Amino acid sequence: MGPLDPDRPMSGKVPIVYTIRGCEACVRLLERWNADGMEYEERRAELSQATMDEARTFGSAVPIIVWPDGRVEQGFQGHIGCYII
Amino acid sequence: MRVLVGKRPFMTQTTTVVTPERFDRALSYADYLAAIAVNRDQFQHYYDIARLTDDDVAFFREAAVLPSGPAKILVIAEAWCPDVFRGVPVFARIAEATGMTMKVVLRDENPDIMDEFLLNGKARAIPVAIFYTRDHQYITHWTERPEVAHAEVARIRGEFSAVHPTVDLKALTSADMPTVKAFFDARLPQHYPAWQVETVREIRALLAAAMAVA
Repeated sequence: MGPLDPDRPMSGKVPIVYTIRGCEACVRLLERWNADGMEYEERRAELSQATMDEARTFGSAVPIIVWPDGRVEQGFQGHIGCYII
Repeated sequence: MRVLVGKRPFMTQTTTVVTPERFDRALSYADYLAAIAVNRDQFQHYYDIARLTDDDVAFFREAAVLPSGPAKILVIAEAWCPDVFRGVPVFARIAEATGMTMKVVLRDENPDIMDEFLLNGKARAIPVAIFYTRDHQYITHWTERPEVAHAEVARIRGEFSAVHPTVDLKALTSADMPTVKAFFDARLPQHYPAWQVETVREIRALLAAAMAVA
C-alpha cells in the first residue's frame, strides 16, 4: 500500500496502525488486536522517512490508528506511546 | 566480561555490560548518522543550532585532561525519538570540542545496556549519555531531556487541559488533533534551543559533582 493521503478517508478495509519498535503502547495495542483476531496493517514509522512523515501527518505519537472511515486515534488505554515529533 | 565499577550513584546494578571492547565496537557518530533511516535532517538541524559557550568548552577541556575526567561518551539512542535528535547533537558538540570519543548504541538492539541506565529504575528513556574515563571507569550519565523541559511540557499540558478540559491527551482522536497540534506547536518549539543549553548545563553539573571539581 502506498502513502496515505491525510485529506481523504481511508479506502482500505482494515485499520492502519503506525508503530515503532520498542514502543510499549504499540506492543500492547497489537497484542490486544492479535488476541481479538483483528486484521490490520502495521506501518513501522522508524523504518523509512516516508512512513515517518506519513505518520506525522496524522499525529504526534505512536501508536496512531487510521480507521477505514478516516477516523484517527492516538494512544492506547491511557498510554501516549512514543512521540515522533 | 563484566567490569567492576566504582561510584555509580544513579545506577541499578554494580557491574556493567559496557566493557571497553563493547564500547569500541559501538558506532561512531558519523557511522550512526549514515545508518539511520529517519530524521537525518533533524539531527543536522539541531547540530547546527547547538552551541557551547567559551566557558563550556573550557570546563569540558579542563575536565577531560584530569585522570578522573571524561574521555569517552557512550550514547544510547534511537533515531525516531525527538529527544534523541535534539539531544545527541549536543553530545556531539561536547565531544568535538574536547576530543572525547563518542560512540552510539541502539537502545532496542542493546537491551542489556539500556537496562543499566533505566530512568528511575524503570523507563527506557533516551537519549542517555554515559561518561567514562580514559581507562573506562564510569563517571556519570545524563538521560532524556533537561528538567526544565519536563517542567515546561507539564506546564503546557496543564494549560491545554485548562482550556480544553474535555480533550484527553492520552487518547486523542482526529477531532482533537488539529487543536492539540496548533496549541503545542505555538508553545513548545521555541523552547528547544534553551533545552539544548540546559542539557549542557546539567551535564556540566553532573560531571562536576561526580569528579568533585568546580
